[in-house]
Parts: sequence; structure tokens; C-alpha cells
Amino acid sequence: MKAIEIFKELGIEYEEMKVKGNSTPRYRAKVEPDKLEEIIKKFKTQGFKHFVALSCVDWIKEGNMELIYHLFSYDTLEDVFLSIYLPRDEPKYKTLRHLFPQIETYEREVHEMFGVEFEGNDRLGEFILEDWNDMPPMRKDFDTVKYVKEKYESVPLVEGRGDKQ
Amino acid sequence: MTDNPNPLPSIIPEKDWKKIQRMLSKRSLWMIHFCTGCGAMEMPPTMTSRYDMERFGIIPMATPRQADLLLVTGYVAVKTLKRIVRVYEQMQDPKYVISFGSCPINGGLYWDSYNTIKRLDKYIPVDLYIAGCMPRPEAIMDAFLKLMKDIDEGRADGWLRYRKYYDKYRANQMRVFKRWDE
Repeated sequence: MKAIEIFKELGIEYEEMKVKGNSTPRYRAKVEPDKLEEIIKKFKTQGFKHFVALSCVDWIKEGNMELIYHLFSYDTLEDVFLSIYLPRDEPKYKTLRHLFPQIETYEREVHEMFGVEFEGNDRLGEFILEDWNDMPPMRKDFDTVKYVKEKYESVPLVEGRGDKQ
Repeated sequence: MTDNPNPLPSIIPEKDWKKIQRMLSKRSLWMIHFCTGCGAMEMPPTMTSRYDMERFGIIPMATPRQADLLLVTGYVAVKTLKRIVRVYEQMQDPKYVISFGSCPINGGLYWDSYNTIKRLDKYIPVDLYIAGCMPRPEAIMDAFLKLMKDIDEGRADGWLRYRKYYDKYRANQMRVFKRWDE
């Protein structure tokens, strides 16, 4: 089933994105967080069996966190991006790992890099960053250069280079 | 007490023994390459028939306990540094470290990255740096020959510095690690 037909059946507004070098357009839709699970289920039964990625964008001016669920269909070779918006000061969503098991890993990554909380996912511990004790580093208000200066450049050199053996 | 029929050759003084030791150990470097970052890509041509570093007496070794030359081939993340220190401490003395590419010198491409250390010799002693992004196999072999010369002349003394200033190195490491034992 084509993505347009599914969108029309569900009554969701969508947007076509032309990609250079791609003949087929990609579809992007903003959906309500409550309805996302049902929509992904519908897409999954209609041929969109490949969950490509879950990514996150920090819209600091709007005060939002955008979560983008990226699906792909091998039948029609179409890409679909479903995005939801969460409040930035307390981003919280439920886990969708029962739909696609690989979502669990993406949720762990988004949790670590952006601080988004996923209710129901019990593996949101330390993942890629080890020994991290600051705010999540991919948030826009994290000052990387300042952090680098404080953490790494303040480490003193150990003397003794050139001592005689 | 009878005289020892096979006395130690006392004709050669202690200082010269060390010299002979260094001369011999420079010719039997067993290397372990810690493949972080992109520098590991330059190792296969250096090791195999095109450039053939075995003609200098350097052979890759699979485990750190039997190796005496550690190659850090690229950027070092905090997580990687913990493993590098582990590997380095498992190696037996005398041991040497070559760091590879611009990233372990000053951060290189990752100068403002939140998760890579900028200068490797604040955390473990480095005997030789190879600059470049990436260094060519010729530069690597040049570094090996330079390291051999340094070992021969007694200048490659990183392992002695690590013993002497162990507390300072460990203090620096603990500034970036939250805890040591996982």
C-alpha cells in the first residue's frame, strides 16, 4: 500500500519532500504523541516493516524536542518520517520497543544524548558515554568549548620528559 | 667456601651491560596496535608485503602481555582511554608508546569534542608522536627507526617516567574518569 493512501485513510496531513537524486518523494507528517503508536502499527501492517531510525532534534527557540520515527517500505520503496513534539523542559514519552525491538537501542541513545525519558524502557542506563556527569551533550544549550576547556585543558602536564635514564 | 668456577664476567661494567641490553631490545620490538580512529587503516600496508615492517624486526602481537610497543592509532575517547590504560598497564617493562596522527597530539579534528581527550601524554607517557592526518606508511617506518635509535641511546624512557610519576598520571586519569572499576 502506498504511503499517500495510508495517510489519507488515517486522515493525517503530510508533506512531500523532494530529495535530490531520488525519484520518489519522502513523506513527512507531524502527528499527535497519543496517536503515534496506532499510526506506526498501521504502517507496519501495510508494508512499512523496516524501522530505519529514531532521531531527535532540539528546537531550543520553540521550546520543543522533536522525535522523528523513520520507516521504510520494501514493497513501494518509500520513506516515511513521523515526528512528534515534546515540551523541552520535561521531555517524556512512552517506549515503543514492543513494535520494533531495535527502538530500544535508539531510545537509550536519545535518552543519553538529549535526556528524553521513555516510560517503560528499563534499560535507559549508561550507554555510549562512560563516566558522564554533566547535562546531555547534544542539547543546544550545552557549551562544548567551555566544557572542553574545563575538563581537558585544565589537566596538568606530568613533568619529567627528557630525564636521564 | 670454594671459588666459583664460572664467575660473572666482571670485565664488562654494569653500564655497558645496559647498553648491550638496549642494543638487543631495540631489535625485537613486538607491537600491539590499539586500533582507535582511522589510523588503523594505515597499518595493514605497513605490516604486509608492500612496505613490510618485519624487515626492521617489528612484528604485530595479539596480546598486550607479550608486546612491548603500544601504538595508539587515532583519536582517544574517554571510554577508550580507560581501555588504553588497562592495556598499557598489562604490558611488561620495558614498554614504549607511539601515538599516531594529530588527534592524540592536540585533539586534531576533535578539538572541541566533549568526549575525546586532547593530549595523550597527560594520561600515559608517550615516547614518540607521529604528526599527520593520516601519516603515510613511510612516516610510520621513519618513526619506528627513530624509536629504535631512542631506545639505543636510552632516551625512550616513558615506562620509567610512568613508574616514577605514577601518582600524577593516575590523578590525571581520574580527572576524566568518574570511577575506575566497572
